[in-house]
Amino acid sequence: MALPDLEARLRLTRRHFFGAAATGIGIPALASLLPAAAPVKGQPGLPGFPNFPAKAKRVIYLFQSGGPSQMELFDNKPRLAQFQGTDLPESVRNGQRLTQMSATQSSFPVVPSKFAFAQHGESGAWLSELLPETAKIADKLTFVKSVHTDAINHDPAVTFFQTGSQIAGRPSMGSWVAYGLGCETSDLPAFVVMISSSNGGGQPLYDRLWGSGFLPTRYQGIKFRSVGDPVLYLTDPAGFPKDNRRVFLDAVNEINESHYEDVKDPEIATRISQYEMAFRMQSSVPDLTDFSKEPASVLEMYGPDVKKPGTYAYNCLLSRRLAERGVRFVQLYHRDWDHHGNLPKDIPKRCKETDQASAALVKDLAQRGMLDDTLVVWGGEFGRTVYCQGRLTKDDYGRDHHPRCFTMWFAGGGMKPGISYGATDDYGYNITENPVHVHDIQATLMHCLGVEHTKLTYKFQGRNFRLTDVHGNLVKEILA
Amino acid sequence: MRWVSCIAFVAVLAPGSAAAELSFNKDVRPILSDRCFACHGPDKNNRKSKLRLDQEEGAKGDLGKGRFGLVPGHPEQSEAFKRITSDSKTLRMPPAYMGHDKLSDHDIQVLKTWIEQGAKYEKHWAFVPPVKAAAPDVKDAAWVKNPIDQFILARLERDGIHTSPEADRATLIRRVSFDITGLPATTAEVDAFIHDDSPQAYEKVVDRLLASPRYAERMAIRWLEAARYADTNGYQSDGPRDMWRWRDWVLDAFQKNMPYNQFVLEQIGGDLLPNATLSQKIATAFQRNHRTSAEGGIVDEEFRVDYVADRTETTSTVFLGLTLGCARCHDHKFDPMTQRDYYSMFAFYNNVPEKGFVWNFGNEEPTIKAPLPEQETKLAQLDEAMKTAGQHVKGLEPASAAAQEKWEKEIAGHKKTVAWAPLDGLILSSELAADEQHFDGKRTVDAGKAQPTISYRDPFTLAARVKPETLKGAILSKGEDYFEGQQHALYLIDGKVRLHVTYRWTDLAMRMETVKPVKQGEWQHIVATYDGSMKAAGVRIYVNGELQELKILFDQFVWPMDSKEPWRIGAGGGLRFQGDIKDVRVYGRALSADEVAALNLTEPLNTLAAKSNRSAAETAKLHLAFLDKYAPKNVAQARARLAIATSQRNTFYDSIPTVMVMKERTERRPTFVLKRGAYDAPGDPVTPNIPSFLPPMKPDWPKNRLGLAMWLADRGNPLTARAAVNRYWASLFGVGLVKTVEDFGSQGEWPIHQELLDWLAVEFMDSGWDVKHIMKTMVMSAAYRQASTAGPEMLQRDPENRLLARGPRYRLPAEMIRDQALAVSGLLANKMGGPSVKPYQPDGLWQELQGGTGYKADTGDSLYRRSLYTYWRRTIAPPNMINFDSPTHEVCIVRENRTNTPLQALNLMNDTLFLEAARKLGERMLTEGGQDRLAYGFHTVLGRDPKARERSALEKALEKFETYYKAHPKDAQEYLRQGESPIPKKIAAPELASYAALGGIILNLDETVTKE
Repeated sequence: MALPDLEARLRLTRRHFFGAAATGIGIPALASLLPAAAPVKGQPGLPGFPNFPAKAKRVIYLFQSGGPSQMELFDNKPRLAQFQGTDLPESVRNGQRLTQMSATQSSFPVVPSKFAFAQHGESGAWLSELLPETAKIADKLTFVKSVHTDAINHDPAVTFFQTGSQIAGRPSMGSWVAYGLGCETSDLPAFVVMISSSNGGGQPLYDRLWGSGFLPTRYQGIKFRSVGDPVLYLTDPAGFPKDNRRVFLDAVNEINESHYEDVKDPEIATRISQYEMAFRMQSSVPDLTDFSKEPASVLEMYGPDVKKPGTYAYNCLLSRRLAERGVRFVQLYHRDWDHHGNLPKDIPKRCKETDQASAALVKDLAQRGMLDDTLVVWGGEFGRTVYCQGRLTKDDYGRDHHPRCFTMWFAGGGMKPGISYGATDDYGYNITENPVHVHDIQATLMHCLGVEHTKLTYKFQGRNFRLTDVHGNLVKEILA
Repeated sequence: MRWVSCIAFVAVLAPGSAAAELSFNKDVRPILSDRCFACHGPDKNNRKSKLRLDQEEGAKGDLGKGRFGLVPGHPEQSEAFKRITSDSKTLRMPPAYMGHDKLSDHDIQVLKTWIEQGAKYEKHWAFVPPVKAAAPDVKDAAWVKNPIDQFILARLERDGIHTSPEADRATLIRRVSFDITGLPATTAEVDAFIHDDSPQAYEKVVDRLLASPRYAERMAIRWLEAARYADTNGYQSDGPRDMWRWRDWVLDAFQKNMPYNQFVLEQIGGDLLPNATLSQKIATAFQRNHRTSAEGGIVDEEFRVDYVADRTETTSTVFLGLTLGCARCHDHKFDPMTQRDYYSMFAFYNNVPEKGFVWNFGNEEPTIKAPLPEQETKLAQLDEAMKTAGQHVKGLEPASAAAQEKWEKEIAGHKKTVAWAPLDGLILSSELAADEQHFDGKRTVDAGKAQPTISYRDPFTLAARVKPETLKGAILSKGEDYFEGQQHALYLIDGKVRLHVTYRWTDLAMRMETVKPVKQGEWQHIVATYDGSMKAAGVRIYVNGELQELKILFDQFVWPMDSKEPWRIGAGGGLRFQGDIKDVRVYGRALSADEVAALNLTEPLNTLAAKSNRSAAETAKLHLAFLDKYAPKNVAQARARLAIATSQRNTFYDSIPTVMVMKERTERRPTFVLKRGAYDAPGDPVTPNIPSFLPPMKPDWPKNRLGLAMWLADRGNPLTARAAVNRYWASLFGVGLVKTVEDFGSQGEWPIHQELLDWLAVEFMDSGWDVKHIMKTMVMSAAYRQASTAGPEMLQRDPENRLLARGPRYRLPAEMIRDQALAVSGLLANKMGGPSVKPYQPDGLWQELQGGTGYKADTGDSLYRRSLYTYWRRTIAPPNMINFDSPTHEVCIVRENRTNTPLQALNLMNDTLFLEAARKLGERMLTEGGQDRLAYGFHTVLGRDPKARERSALEKALEKFETYYKAHPKDAQEYLRQGESPIPKKIAAPELASYAALGGIILNLDETVTKE
């Protein structure tokens, strides 16, 4: 208890330095500055982590932002046909909190899915016609139909999923993982975020959702952008070729080394190593985004969008490439699932953008033998109501936010494939079996990574904080 | 965290040595707090047994069965000690079954010694008012510059550590210039200091820096972070707000060296001071800087409660150095702060007339107009001009009245109809001939799109004559043909006249109707006016010229609307009309009551003029018509001048910035303890009060926000001065005397030098809370002036430099890194204050957040202002600030954070601003550098000449760049194209490009981004 902060600091500084120095270029003099040490590949995590052998070495989280409707995608409710247009019984709604958007609505007419459901695979998973490609890999997936959350509006709900708290300021899941486990690459960040480029629709996504909160900022998610530089300020200016950058860095490093000799501050050594990491990223990131060596069959599997930077398909393939290179946590966001109105027209578009690539990612990982140790997560921040929001017509309806039950799926990384866990009532309004809270998902995800969720803590403002706050139970039933 | 104290323990508890007297607060409490209080501490709901270790009575009391938690002098009889040393897994504390580890041998030894010494308790240090202890004696008295040094040196001498020599002058002036003004010293300033032989040379520099307006800018930025200041609301779509007038207030306060207690008083309770000035009201914007939400569907009260909680927690963090957030949901587990205490503090801030769901396109009420001094002058002039023009019109009234009388007589005899209706602002008019007037419940008339269109803030008037056959129908509408759709619409609902202005039915809409119904089967004139105020109170409905009593059905502001639909007569909201409609008008302004009355009258002017007994409406119509059309030239001109003067005044008035401020409701909103912190789970009622464990308010202070302000600003408050001086200390030395700047409670760090902290706090108060004085005292100390180089031994022993055996060495904060680049390149624009500016930012960042038009950088000087003026959008803050650990300004942050990442390297290498600064620095080397250009550039940034190895590294690089750019002149031109500032034509591109790259090298050096 006395010295961990100091020790951690020194250890990290030293190892960061050596880790980078060992693979660095153009800093020969450094070797004479510090005692020799074995090179360490990657970026270190905390001692003692993982706490036990991990099933998943990495996570790819496909976040569907806005709250995709489980009613149209996963949670088949055949009896709704006979309830159509009738008011949701008070006994089902049971005084449940509504958003202010539908709280002033005079009636709550039940509306069944316009889209047909069928069973798929040996597991007989129910999926709607909107997800034909996901249906083909149903036996590889673990569906949890009884996820519930505390939040009812986007901003707090996404924040809750990503950080374990509805109030902004806590570290995001990926930052916790990067902090605890580090990663296996020295050339890329441990935690990478990508957002499908938007046509202006959908809820905003903030940097703080992948922020490191009170953890040191080196654990924050690095956003790979779809326009301009994939990483901010990555590309050297026009007229300044790579050789010039090398000359530039050699001079900067030489002067910094000279200064280090005078001052002996380890921060200078860290800075030299970070400049080298920056230089390596200038090569590794463009290499990462160069799909030219991907076989045609792979590209085909992800669909034609895969060739357009910024699309969900492109980001899915990039996720696999990041995973291959040792990145620990890849977080994708796809927006505009917030279908308060026009649902029958809009949800097919979102499915078309994501269905094929999500399935391709799982298949691609499986083909490469990576699915066993890669956990893929698919889900939004909440579900949608069984009753119609706004105007209900023959062809049109909307659904409001619904935090009480919704569906997520998982693949690989220690999850039990081909099962559906949890159930909801005939209205798809309340959970009837095996509720799974957001904190439970976080605890389970950590478990797959070999982390006991109560042990990965950080002391801040006098308290030990963790991703799951003071909650979270492992959902053993969905583990392989 | 407490490693330094632990170093001390090692000495204290070394085997064989007699144990020195242990302090409960310093040595014991941290262990108990960290390991025991969660279950045996202040939180009554979580206390696991009778044993309570945070209070002496609880710890030493009878636990039953002859057991006592602590028996002074006898660890072996003390139940607590028996349990922490027990070998039994079930008995041992903290319990293994809850996943806790055993206490370390060291901690057990401390507790044992303490119990042996009598287990004496002390009140927590931070809750006892500071006293000025005599500065301790030291051996090396010659080193001491002021009492600060005695405290520092006494400790170093005790530990056998040597101080460092004074930093060389170039380093020292660079350090102190950054610390006081946030900018580097210029080459001339460095040289002047180096060559000043007077004993006061350093003090002269310090005084010069403290007098500079740049001092206020440097001090302001940390305060803006603490105050979570920003230019946007911060939640969801993160709309804009205007709070820069408050930022100007902060700059002004630092520049005038406002006493800190006044600074506190005005920001918390300025509006409640007797005869509060405009400036004192602006000060209270401090507590409106928190984030607000305009997300559709939020529960208003839930967010309003969040805002009040934010104020409560910000107050405690900033002014008290306490972290109270825990007590929002339950009694504090470590400090004696109960949930009741929390909500009693909360109650001070729970009385603002405000909403949780806010306006997304500017400031949310309560606001005030906050004119700048020159704006106040101009407004007074325009008011005067309006008044003069008004008097002129009034002066002409007798003549005008006579002329009107003459005109009335003239037209009274006319046979031909002289018609008149208000035309000013009429944007749509549909007479509807006799055969077009009937509506059968199906038919509708498309009246076209009126220009200009009416959006959310535009006043309007809707008018029509109707003869309804049924009591429900749509008269006139523009928008979706759906009752809950987006629209402007005038209806009859159950016979009552109903106006809908709807952006979104559920939360962004206004709806009201008349109390009395209209009559069926009769022609009636219906008018609805709206003044653009975004409040239902701005709506009037008239029937036959008479103002109607209204029932407000829904009253929320509306968002910008631009419906592509035409105006429809007899249709809207899915309804149709049965009966007759004619004379439909839409005005782009709100008609006055007189105008409505006049519009209602169908008789022509000649008929009215012939009447001897006229109604008020008839008189009004004649008067309005006369002034509009028939007034003598001088009257018309005077009225036109008045109209222009009024319009000029109003336009100017609208351009005056507003600022969101604190205000009290007339009737106090009751406050309750909120169970689990939930807005909808009120428990016991509470009244405004300060936490019970701190000194109480004086009886004659008001029990409101002003009283809270007085309490915070009072000398008797044990925390205010300590928290302030600790923050200032941290801003100079890199770490506070209490490292946990935000938490002086029992989970915070014990001050490394409590007596020094207290000395500074009392000195601060004694000086009249003089901020410049205390800053000067700190930087004048020998401790501050030391060289920052650490030997390997001290680096090992004191890596964070808490003992101050050397000067501070830290990476500069984000804003100083950017500001330095602006300064050394000569780009810096020195303008102080004013609205935020938008410097360069990589393209597409705002669009990635939520689409839209995105960020548009300013041009000219606005690109080169100091970073505290940069437009701050909370959800996507400027990347070159965030990369260097600037807080996001979402919540109050008082502790500086420093990391060292590859993104920082990329930022310094490739951000347009730094590339442009490097280019300008290169240009300065070439044009101003004389014989030794390299040294000139190096000196400009670092205040010293390059050493041989540094020089050779630069020369080597320069040679390579020159070779490359001579061979690739096109690349040179490309590379120079960075930023907006002009590229001199006189210098050959290859040469300038080579020096620009060299400038970049210098700006990227570790030493450049570090305060040495």
